[in-house]
Amino acid sequence: VNGDANGSSDPDLLWYRDAVIYQLHVKTFADSNSDGIGDFKGLTGRLDYLRDLGVDCLWLMPMYPSPFRDDGYDIADYYSIHPSYGTLDDFQELLDAAHARRLRVVTELVLNHTSDQHAWFTQARSARDDPRRDWYVWSDTDDRYSGVRIIFLDTERSNWAWDPQSKAYYWHRFFYHQPDLNYDNPAVREEMWKVMSFWLGLGVDGFRVDAVPYLIEREGTSCENLPETHAVIRWLRSQLDAHFPGRMLLAEANQPPEFVRPYFGEGDEFHMAFHFPLMTRMFMAVRLEDRKPLVDVVERTPEIPATCQWGIFLRNHDELTLEMVTDIEREFMYEEYARDPVSRLNLGIRRRLAPLLDADRRRIELMNGIVMSMPGSPIIYYGDEIGMGDNIYLGDRNGVRTPMQWTGGWNAGFSAADPERLAQPLISNPLFGYQAVNVESQRRADHSLLNWMRRLVSVRKSSHVFSRGSTTFLKPANHRVLAYLRTLGKEQVLVVCNLSSSAQAVELDLRSLAGALPIEMFGKSLFPRIGEPYILTLGPYDFFWFKLRRV
Amino acid sequence: VAEGSLLSDELLRHLMAVGQVDILVGVPTLNNASTIGGVVSAVHQAFGTFFPRDRTVLINSDGGSVDGTQEVIRGRSHDESDTVTVSHALRTTHLISTPYHGVPGKGSALRQIMTAADLSQAKAVAVLDADVASATPEWVASLIQPVRNQQFDYVAPIYSRHPLDSPLITQLVRPLFRAASGWQVREPLAADFGCSNRFLAYCLEQNVWDDELARYGIDLWLTATALYGGFRCCQTMVGPRVAAAAPGRPGFQEVFQQVVGSVFLLLDEQASSWLTRGGSEQIPIAGAAPDGKGEGQAPAVSRLGSAFRDDVRNLASVLQAILGADTLRQLNAIAEADVEELHYPDALWVRTVYEFLGAFHRGVMRREHVTQALIPLYLGRTGSFLIEHASGNQAEIEGALEALCVEFERGKPSLVEHWNQPT
Repeated sequence: VNGDANGSSDPDLLWYRDAVIYQLHVKTFADSNSDGIGDFKGLTGRLDYLRDLGVDCLWLMPMYPSPFRDDGYDIADYYSIHPSYGTLDDFQELLDAAHARRLRVVTELVLNHTSDQHAWFTQARSARDDPRRDWYVWSDTDDRYSGVRIIFLDTERSNWAWDPQSKAYYWHRFFYHQPDLNYDNPAVREEMWKVMSFWLGLGVDGFRVDAVPYLIEREGTSCENLPETHAVIRWLRSQLDAHFPGRMLLAEANQPPEFVRPYFGEGDEFHMAFHFPLMTRMFMAVRLEDRKPLVDVVERTPEIPATCQWGIFLRNHDELTLEMVTDIEREFMYEEYARDPVSRLNLGIRRRLAPLLDADRRRIELMNGIVMSMPGSPIIYYGDEIGMGDNIYLGDRNGVRTPMQWTGGWNAGFSAADPERLAQPLISNPLFGYQAVNVESQRRADHSLLNWMRRLVSVRKSSHVFSRGSTTFLKPANHRVLAYLRTLGKEQVLVVCNLSSSAQAVELDLRSLAGALPIEMFGKSLFPRIGEPYILTLGPYDFFWFKLRRV
Repeated sequence: VAEGSLLSDELLRHLMAVGQVDILVGVPTLNNASTIGGVVSAVHQAFGTFFPRDRTVLINSDGGSVDGTQEVIRGRSHDESDTVTVSHALRTTHLISTPYHGVPGKGSALRQIMTAADLSQAKAVAVLDADVASATPEWVASLIQPVRNQQFDYVAPIYSRHPLDSPLITQLVRPLFRAASGWQVREPLAADFGCSNRFLAYCLEQNVWDDELARYGIDLWLTATALYGGFRCCQTMVGPRVAAAAPGRPGFQEVFQQVVGSVFLLLDEQASSWLTRGGSEQIPIAGAAPDGKGEGQAPAVSRLGSAFRDDVRNLASVLQAILGADTLRQLNAIAEADVEELHYPDALWVRTVYEFLGAFHRGVMRREHVTQALIPLYLGRTGSFLIEHASGNQAEIEGALEALCVEFERGKPSLVEHWNQPT
């Protein structure tokens, strides 16, 4: 098996199944040249921090040249680096340094659309008979594909936009300045594989593929999840496997798990896909103090091929999406997590983890304890490991993309530039401001959130049972207690979580495990031998991970 | 009786697991296997449809069913992965099925349910009759919503009945209770009701639970307690009530004696609350007004009339001890008429009932004999009403029933007079 086309020493082709991934934006992580914008050199200088946190893989948000009308997801050139972030050499240096620390690097690949500033689109709109014309989706009327939902409801009124230059409408599922590429055109598919090959050749370990369900349009359909879209993905995957085995494709498809499942194919499409509904339902469960929504969604999640894995997370760079919930659930989430209407965006909530949980350390730990013990590869959004706050007044989703807070000093240690030059303003309120929440101070405190997160990641990585094991819910009568058994071969871990703000007693039916000795995995404390029934008491928002040993 | 002995360890464990709830629905059962499944489904659908965000629990308190009632309920018990309707509920919906302990009868079951509701701090409670084959989610919700949303303490149902249906209610219980208590309640002894935590806590403190009244008259006692106790009461339209014809149910005579015995007993025990009241007040209606449509059917006239004529003769000596001479003379006169021409006027019926109630109070004979002797007269009165209104439309019949209620109110001084006669 050649799992090592990128030169790293890990021979495991399935590395992503056990990975803990760290998502960051180069722009706001660390600025090395004092221009107020984060860059690759700055990130390279912080790799030891990420290695010490215990993560295995970095997921970099878009780093390509872009007019930045969608924070880089509007790519204007797929073959280079945005000059603000550095050069291709800087990027290569980052890759090498990361691999030297056994950190893999995954970058963004926006397949669905380009920026309207991309040369391809400029050429396509220049004349109706231009060879690039057919790289995008055009129409003389705006009534084709009627009924297809509009994703950015707050800003867009139609999926068609008028191009005054070529006097035709072009199709866009996202912002009007992001025209969709036409994947019915083989030349587009070939070009995108060329793009992928370019970055994979540099050593990139995989791609987080943006907006996957929308690649192909067909009349009379929702233009989402179409078979033809899957065919495009299968072709790209076959190219990847043939030329770069061991690299990974991660799908962004904000859909219910049963609709995402086809994106794994028979193990011949994506290696990974995000589990969006699990994220929403973790928040719902903790606020309801009831495991039902969480258990429901996990039990509804179909099996995936053995070579695949879910990407699970609490927060990311987007709003906490409420697209895939019922009206009742959305109303509940808004009332509980977004009382301030400014925090609502599209069908979601633009907040980071700590503000969503009222900076309640116990709930932050509980939520991380759940996500780190659920089936899937957990993803940490930069700054959430120290409990960073947000700024909902910055517009769009910029409020959760503020500079990383390294220290309590000048510009939070992010940049030596004048504060006015920063790519994004710093968080400076008394609760979440960089003076109060930063890496430096948390490094010094043994019981800081940062150090607790390190321990959590370390314990998570101590066993493959979390990443590869099966999951069985125990469903005790007390619905405020979430309990599940993770099993991999002879190895078993019992996870028990109190979702409630009050102390709870729970009676677990562990008949099949009678005689086993539970060892609490963080403190290595021995708990009473499992008998029948097994009664546990948990403080508010407490959770236990027990390794079960038979002696 | 201490709470500890009312609740088994198993039930307590369940309640600890359920914790604090917003809505508790209680269903007392005794051999209701044929209908309980529908009731449980209606409750679960109501939870999912009308109260998706509330913490809910359904408690079944069983009196020792031997027909598999509890098995049916446990079969309907579900976990997080169950039915589509329940999946609308954001939270876990709990279902507890438990036997009750103590004096046999509905009172003990209700006491257990209310104690559980009190311990779990339920904000709104509904109790449903397991015998009903027509329970719907809307039915359940209409009993809960006035408590949950409008802060009522007690919610009595209004069933959608044909006015000739359930004559025991329309001819006797409703008008008598209205005249005596001074409150216009359509269904004073309905087995379905909603209530607040405040009301049930008050009820639990009363010394009724081990009394005779608790066995068959607890529904009426609850209505009266809510009204006399100054609690915020309302009525709500729930829809048609179709009771199952289950084997082993008591016959008409037994039911009559249980019902009328309970009404008389309650009025006897709570005389100080109602003797001095005059007229009657309406109870507000929460939600939609009654639609005026009704279901159900009237009993056969010929059977009622012939029973009346024969028994007035057979029970002459008993009736003589209960009724005044004038009342008895008029009764004998109408008993001579052909069944088809039977005419038992409102005023005479009112006097009959009041004199029976007075006799019950004064203890002129064993109380069950008093209520038993009223049966043929009730049958005669019912037969008479059916004959007179057989061709009437619904509004006309409702008008006649209202006139009867007014007649009961008008005759109340004579009841007081009978009441105060020396024994």
